[in-house]
Amino acid sequence: MKTSVTRRSLLAGLGGALAGLMTNSLAQTAKAAVKTVFVRTNAPRGYDPSKHKWLMCFDVDRCIGCGLCVEACKTENHVPQGPSYFRTWIERYIIKRPKPGSGSARGEVIVDSPNGGRDGFPPTLVPREDILKSFFVPKLCNLCEHSPCVQVCPVGATFDTPDGAVLVDPHYCIGCGFCIQACPYGCRFLNPETKTAEKCTLCYHRITRGKKPACVEICPTEARIFGDLKNPVENDPIQRFINQNKVNTLKPHLGTEPRVLYANLDKEVR
Amino acid sequence: MHRPIMPPQVFRLVLLTIAIVASYFMARWLLTPATFHAYGFYRGEALAEHMTPEPVYAGRNACGECHEDVVKKLAAKEHRTLGCETCHGVSQPHVENPDVKLTKIGDNHCLRCHEANGARPAFIKQIVVKDHFRGDKCTGCHVPHQPNEMP
Repeated sequence: MKTSVTRRSLLAGLGGALAGLMTNSLAQTAKAAVKTVFVRTNAPRGYDPSKHKWLMCFDVDRCIGCGLCVEACKTENHVPQGPSYFRTWIERYIIKRPKPGSGSARGEVIVDSPNGGRDGFPPTLVPREDILKSFFVPKLCNLCEHSPCVQVCPVGATFDTPDGAVLVDPHYCIGCGFCIQACPYGCRFLNPETKTAEKCTLCYHRITRGKKPACVEICPTEARIFGDLKNPVENDPIQRFINQNKVNTLKPHLGTEPRVLYANLDKEVR
Repeated sequence: MHRPIMPPQVFRLVLLTIAIVASYFMARWLLTPATFHAYGFYRGEALAEHMTPEPVYAGRNACGECHEDVVKKLAAKEHRTLGCETCHGVSQPHVENPDVKLTKIGDNHCLRCHEANGARPAFIKQIVVKDHFRGDKCTGCHVPHQPNEMP
């Protein structure tokens, strides 16, 4: 009877196995090297994103336009000081009286945001008797349920986290700026230092440590309300806000389903 | 002479195909970060990287640990909605080392909220500086922690 294992085949098999083992150890080393390139962090452990759902609310009637939130955001997140780099900002709306006999309910709408409102708002040049009404609207990332910015990113650098934030992975971002164009709320900018897209992270390093975002911490009138939908506290400010106000979102017709809620929002706010 | 299973040219093609497919899986295994599918189609470790920076603002709870009396006083009156750092500024260095002093607050800081501005809602008390100002500074007449109390 002829055996199927010859000396030649046995040696070849052994050699192949040895080569396989060596390749495997080489691959493990390479993978470890890749890992050290991508992973460098000393973040606080023990935070489970799937156990939280963060929500931000604004009461437009409470915003006094002091701009301290904009300043605090820049300090907290080391946002460049330039005139167009904001993770949060305040807009002032001035709605003029309609021209007599024009038949419209309201006149021209003037929106300004000098330096994002960081230094407060100077008195407007529009004469007082021409103003129908005027108010401040704080803005930041609208935390869309269906984020256009996430859909357009060609390298998958931006994503929705399970706890409701929309974050940018700066190691993946190539700075193409598609997301900046896609965001209907203008909430993103290209950081001139890192050359990557940046946006409000809900102060991710603060909320994961049990603190409030810097803008909420600083706001003197509680115009910004922040909370966790999955872990409501006693007399929860979010629940109270939604119960007591008629809430709306910005640009609901776009179907982005923002989770940032506004109370007392005027229809002219875009 | 034993007969080959398939013609040699087909055999080479099969080998080549296996090599290409194997190198694809090898590259994918090598280049996909360890935490890639932890939460979704992105690097899970990116969340940890966003958690990494140390907070700059300490938060009002940190202030209450030493200045409980002031926090209580503040909570009783009109300025109860203000955070400590709304006026006193960045406090994390002071929390870590009490010898580090906070920055001085100027009168302009009061005016950021209380200067008359047409867009401001009516609930906030507003002043026209040139009609209102009588002393050398705001704190000459007003106690910031209890605004309606006279010193």
